[in-house]
Amino acid sequence: MDITITQNDNLVTVNIEGRLDTVTAPELENGLASYLDGSTDLTLDCGKMEYVSSAGLRVILTLHKALASKGRKFSLKDLNKDVRNVFDMTGFSRILTIE
Amino acid sequence: MELNITFRNDISEISRLEGFIEQVAEQFSLPMDIVFNLNLVLEEAVANVIMYAYPKEEHEFIYLSASLKEDNTLVFVLTDSGKEFDPTLEPDADIDLSAEKRRIGGLGIFLIRQIMNEVRYERIDNKNILTLEKKL
Repeated sequence: MDITITQNDNLVTVNIEGRLDTVTAPELENGLASYLDGSTDLTLDCGKMEYVSSAGLRVILTLHKALASKGRKFSLKDLNKDVRNVFDMTGFSRILTIE
Repeated sequence: MELNITFRNDISEISRLEGFIEQVAEQFSLPMDIVFNLNLVLEEAVANVIMYAYPKEEHEFIYLSASLKEDNTLVFVLTDSGKEFDPTLEPDADIDLSAEKRRIGGLGIFLIRQIMNEVRYERIDNKNILTLEKKL
């Protein structure tokens, strides 16, 4: 997995490429740790994310909770069909903002 | 015909699972959507064993086999000799709760139950044996 982080004014966009699984999920969590204390909104661009497992979902829920508790917006965009299906199966589609 | 893979109890070993599932998919001509879901299920099952079955410093092994029964049921058997752990006793995540109320864990076993038709745990000869079946 590769992550690329871009900050524009009040929005941090995180581009995730590859597999977000048990091995790589901690990399995403650690990579974004310093952005949790800021005041920006955060979007995960999943256009190149091929796969997500429950370990990835755990990190995504953690991010959502951390930002929501401070009134910051958290969203995901461009999920592929298979990845979207995991969000649907686990009910994540209903609780997260997916564009 | 049975395919096998052995993992060390090191979390980086999870990266080898994708290649094994590709072999299984080729051998039994599995459709792509099932392959994606098998990655979810097996990652969860194997990661659980790697993280919880053995003390970290011990170099133990975890065995996974895949076979196809005559009635076209795909059968995975995951075996380890670590401490007794029955993942089928774990409660599912409650997927109807709001984000704020949802717990961080419990998703793995939920996904395994959603995707597979049968999930069976046995403790035999000091081994944990988890059998996961999917009707094709």
